[in-house]
Amino acid sequence: MTPVPEQLMEALRGDRARRPRRDDTTAAGLRALLEDHAYDILGAQRLDAPLIVSGARLRPSVTTRDLADATLSRSRGVIVALVTRLLVAGVHVGDPYDDALCAWRADRPGDPLLETVDHLDAELAARLRADVTAHVTTLRAVLGEIPSAWRPRSAQRARQVLGGGNLELRDVVDLIVGSLHGESANVALVDVTTSPLGVHSERLMRFHALVQTLRTSVVPLRTSILSTATAEVWTHDVTPELLLRGVDDVVTAMRGEVAA
Amino acid sequence: MNALLHRRLTASHLRAVVDGGPDDVARLTDDHRLSLASRLRAVPHPDRRRLDAWLVERAGRPSAPFAWSPVTARRILGNNALRRARDTSDALSQAVRDEVADQLLRAASGYARAGSLGHWLATAPHPVLGLITAEALNWATTVLECVEDLDDWRMAPTDVYFDVAGARTTLRGRRDVVIGHGADRVVLRLRSGHPGKSAGHGLRSDLAVEALAHPEGVAPRRYLGLWPDAGLLLGVEGTMENVRAGGRDFVRAAVAQRRVGLVRAA
Repeated sequence: MTPVPEQLMEALRGDRARRPRRDDTTAAGLRALLEDHAYDILGAQRLDAPLIVSGARLRPSVTTRDLADATLSRSRGVIVALVTRLLVAGVHVGDPYDDALCAWRADRPGDPLLETVDHLDAELAARLRADVTAHVTTLRAVLGEIPSAWRPRSAQRARQVLGGGNLELRDVVDLIVGSLHGESANVALVDVTTSPLGVHSERLMRFHALVQTLRTSVVPLRTSILSTATAEVWTHDVTPELLLRGVDDVVTAMRGEVAA
Repeated sequence: MNALLHRRLTASHLRAVVDGGPDDVARLTDDHRLSLASRLRAVPHPDRRRLDAWLVERAGRPSAPFAWSPVTARRILGNNALRRARDTSDALSQAVRDEVADQLLRAASGYARAGSLGHWLATAPHPVLGLITAEALNWATTVLECVEDLDDWRMAPTDVYFDVAGARTTLRGRRDVVIGHGADRVVLRLRSGHPGKSAGHGLRSDLAVEALAHPEGVAPRRYLGLWPDAGLLLGVEGTMENVRAGGRDFVRAAVAQRRVGLVRAA
């Protein structure tokens, strides 16, 4: 784990001379391992609907004091994710709250959460606006400017179907930089969260690394998570051990879902 | 061979699939075109219809009416931006911004018709333009990541269309990247999400349109569908069996579409 850097991009860049060679062999083994576990846990019979494991399901269930807090927290997450997308694309963001709401309406017009935000009373709306402004200030400071040569892409989706269609891994990574084609590994994954970091953040970082490895068949260089609540950045090099722990996390989630 | 190719979407697999394929591809004649036209004429439709791989994959069921959104706009803008970036050596992000600016200029100078992308962009507020830029940049980067290890690739200038004589029908084939030329060409198209069970039928339909619309009726050596979200590539070879299967799928989709229309009217 690295100490808090001045900018996230510096942490991702690291020491270029020490980057490992591109690993395009580990993915097949991970896939086979997951297939075996899926068969053991879910059986050979095709389920009516696949068991879906996503980053959101690896998070602990949040207990909030009231519904308004939960709504504010989820809305803040969506708004900060949208602002991240705009910043990554090099778009000028004037008022983050207003701009993100406008983008949200165009992106998901019928989203029930958006309708809830539109009907917040003045006090709650002001709280959300102030909250978003604070988080985006941190985001701007830590994210910095991402060079175009790093090929940044935001909200990158992945969907991996395993176990004969019985298991589906779904993921969205807020920011991916780097190319798959170099001699050395140079793809870095960044999750942006508005919550403080904790044990679940480690699980999420591993999940992103695992699903990205399965998707591209190339092991990424680093996986990071940035908390806009605390300005903390955690960064791990992606190693076979980290990926195997990611498989364990998925297996635990699968067992939990089956037992429930 | 009539089978559907199925590989992981990696640089080495894609290169191997692009380099392989049959030596002898299908060549359509006027007889083939007339035969398809007569079959489609036998399935009347009250209005002019457009059939494409999406409709084939949905077995003729109608989709929601088209509306511009950041997601529906990303492919046109992203592909144009990637073509621009290759021509000018501009950064991809700059090429996307220039592409959006060009569309806005077209609208401002009165060249964008109502309902067109340029017209819609001209009405979009700044943050929405930002989100559109982000989506287009993602698309262009994803396409580039898929094909940059290949030789002799170029962005397809447009999708391919074939007007079926006397059947009031236009067939549309979706294509993003073309590699090689003539009978040796390989056509790639990208899709988001995960391929469904009918993805092979969709690819064969696109293959058929590509062959029908070619001036000499020559099919590409292979037609490949890339699903980067799933990390998968599927492909069909440009054999006569596959082209015929694609044509049959269009006729079936037209029949199913007509049936849906009749049920609705009843």
